[in-house]
Amino acid sequence: MVSKDGDLLRGEPFEDPASVSSRNASAYRPLHTFELPKGPEKHYQQQFADMYFLRLAQLKKAVKQKAHEAWDEFELAGDKAKFVERVLDVRQGELCWVVGTVYMEMTLKPNVLDDISKEHWIAAPPPRETYVSPSGTDDMMLEDESGRLRVTGDSLNSHYVTGCILAALGTEQADGSFQVIATQYADLPRQPQRWEAEDSAFTVAKKPIPKREKSGKLALVSGLDITGTEDDDLILDLLMEYLTGEASGPPDQSSASNISRLVIAGNSLSNASPILSREEFNVKKGAKKNYGYDASSYNATPAEKFDAFLAEILSTLPVTLLPGENDPANVALPQQPLHPALFPLCRAYANPPAVSNESLEGLDSVTNPWEADVEGWRVLGTGGQTVDDLLKYVDGVQPLEVMEMMLRWRCLAPTAPDTLWCYPFQDDDPLILRECPHIYFAGNREKFETNVVEGPAGQQVLIVGVPKFSKTGQIVLVDMETLEVELVEVGVVQPGS
Amino acid sequence: MLYEFHTKQTLKTPRSVHATYLLTGKKRSSEHSNGVGPHDGDDTVMRSSPFMSSLPEPKNTPERLVTKTSIVLVREEELQKTKAEFEEITSIHIYSLEPGPIENLNLLAVCNQEVATNYASGDPLEHWRVYGSIQNPYIKRRTTKYNPAIAKSAPKVTAKPTAAAHVAKEEKKEAPSAAARTESTSEDSKSGPSTPQPGPKASLKRSDSKTKAKKDTSAGDLFKSFAKTKPKAKEAEESKDEDEAMQGMSEDEGDADDEPTIKFDEEKATAARKAREEREQKLKEMMEADVDMPDAPADEEKDSQDAPIDKEPPSKPAESEAAVTVQGGRRRGRRRVMKKKKVKDEDGYLVTKEEAVWESFSEDEPEPKKVKPTPKTTATKGKKTGGKSQGSIASFFKKA
Repeated sequence: MVSKDGDLLRGEPFEDPASVSSRNASAYRPLHTFELPKGPEKHYQQQFADMYFLRLAQLKKAVKQKAHEAWDEFELAGDKAKFVERVLDVRQGELCWVVGTVYMEMTLKPNVLDDISKEHWIAAPPPRETYVSPSGTDDMMLEDESGRLRVTGDSLNSHYVTGCILAALGTEQADGSFQVIATQYADLPRQPQRWEAEDSAFTVAKKPIPKREKSGKLALVSGLDITGTEDDDLILDLLMEYLTGEASGPPDQSSASNISRLVIAGNSLSNASPILSREEFNVKKGAKKNYGYDASSYNATPAEKFDAFLAEILSTLPVTLLPGENDPANVALPQQPLHPALFPLCRAYANPPAVSNESLEGLDSVTNPWEADVEGWRVLGTGGQTVDDLLKYVDGVQPLEVMEMMLRWRCLAPTAPDTLWCYPFQDDDPLILRECPHIYFAGNREKFETNVVEGPAGQQVLIVGVPKFSKTGQIVLVDMETLEVELVEVGVVQPGS
Repeated sequence: MLYEFHTKQTLKTPRSVHATYLLTGKKRSSEHSNGVGPHDGDDTVMRSSPFMSSLPEPKNTPERLVTKTSIVLVREEELQKTKAEFEEITSIHIYSLEPGPIENLNLLAVCNQEVATNYASGDPLEHWRVYGSIQNPYIKRRTTKYNPAIAKSAPKVTAKPTAAAHVAKEEKKEAPSAAARTESTSEDSKSGPSTPQPGPKASLKRSDSKTKAKKDTSAGDLFKSFAKTKPKAKEAEESKDEDEAMQGMSEDEGDADDEPTIKFDEEKATAARKAREEREQKLKEMMEADVDMPDAPADEEKDSQDAPIDKEPPSKPAESEAAVTVQGGRRRGRRRVMKKKKVKDEDGYLVTKEEAVWESFSEDEPEPKKVKPTPKTTATKGKKTGGKSQGSIASFFKKA
């Protein structure tokens, strides 16, 4: 049953171990799409309204075009549907279509006005599992600069969320609500060719395009949730040994040597977020007051372990590190890179921040969401908060579908800034999708999922839900030549099981 | 090699050596389908809009078959059972050997930590030569000017004995034949399994000298050589406890010791212990000072967040009992300053108070304001003490 090569349970004579082939270079070009301005250029005084305005302004054209294609010929009982520029211009009884931003009025949804009126709230109310109210009284609105329109209709099926841009076809009813027959959204944007940016750079430089080696694999892992206790040490060691090629026999080692980059998609540390949860806050409040630095309140072990873990891997594999919900980064999207001071050992593998904000070989601490060209493919990834938040708006929808819809809406975090913390972008919103990625992943899913979606212009996107490593012990490998996905599971058989 | 050893030992005395195995392969696909099935049931709800059908997307795409490789660590008791779960095993090797069955597999992780702490020196980019991991010629590593571990001198002294002890311990444990068994083996089994690294690689990972010894000699010779090292190993055992405490405290770099000698230097060890005790003592003092100092004056404060500045990293041994220390030509310490603070009282009025707060400073900051340290003053309309001459900051803190 055991293949001959891999069966290492053999006695003398010992031959010299066959050397495992070395790794290939990882072609890697991070795009700094989601980096916020540093220091004094970063302001928080702006209003969030600008974000919605920007989103509508930038996506309106695409949505309109899609709607024109679909509805220009549309007739209902002899009426031709006509486009109405502003939401408030909709006339009763007239078949027309408008473009606007969806706003969901949900009783269970946290409301920012509540926060302001209840100034003395110390801790946030408990996070909701879902915003959908059981009584089904949630309303959907369509708004633009001019005003709001209440929309109803079966075709909505409550699968839209606050913040997405939509074209809706229908008529206004006597009660003032807009009865929707059909909807349209922007759909996938243009997808760059593989190696497009690199090739054009070579062309500009008038250099021949070099012959490229066969690409390796991209390893995706998320939710390491390092707690600092001993319980997770062994499984992390196994993962580290697999990635470095120390574990298992020659056949598996050679497949491990194909991995050319590791991406850690958020939640590397458990419980390191700067914002306390409600429970933690209560515990802290009840505890004896201790002023100044409290040595017992901060536990450096998880960070140290993570550092050591990364340092081992980094000596053989470049790592891209995204922060996640529990990580010690800022909490508002886009989360900025984890600070190198957290990684005294790994720091040596990264370029000093003063020199460059990217390290192509070594530890690249990046933003969340993050976008890069890896092996020529456009890769887009998040730590998973956007998906989690969006899932609270809808009922009976799979995470993969949510991810697909985000791409189709061209909006990476539609629910920000409504229910997801977000930086108040002023002039440009990087969370709007400009170019369609080839690989889109979200970290910290309950289970591994993958799918390929296709766009109207033949775009193909591989969507991957990366499972939590701490729960499943799984990491995802994406073959960067064929975009095929495989799964590696690390586990320990507990004694006595 | 570990397997060879294991089989030989089990032949001689059954159950004397216990092994854990690392299996790699494909598991039976029973759980396969539910792991990878995004397209089950009514997944088309999202696209139920009638115009969606214009998309060329094939609905109900067949499940993408995803190959799933499992890597499982298993004790020898559960080996057969686990093997049965596998459809195909691509590789199997011994992960570790230990004198008795271990109940908590997490102990195995301790070995890796020991290796990481004891052999941290050297260029990590050269590790692949020693450990047989995959080489990546493209990784760049810069040498940092500031290396936190090198600065510590105390742990460095201990590094050598630690390493030696570690190896001695290991070697002894690997020879748990009837003769070599001592009372301390029970302790050993507690302290963790013997081989920190996966089987076939293990010899590679350990020092060269040992590998050679293992290769060249037959088992009988091995025991002889172990017998020689045994008493020394015992000594090592004694100091082991402290050693482990040390490893927790510091990320010492160890020593550039790719061939750890088995010679154990008693004097060195005692010296090291002394140094360590001193250090621990110092650290303790520091910790106490750290917790207590900010506490004393701040009792009346409403909220600890009002004094965020007096948080200081604990790793700096600067603020020990003498609040001013000179470190690297720079003076650091704490001082008390008056801060204005706005508080909302019960009636909703804003009240501005002046309060004494502790603040850390170092020399590059301006000299502290001349404040007379009058403990237990909340709202002293202070700052009048400027008239007194204040020689140095040290004298200021002596008064306090």
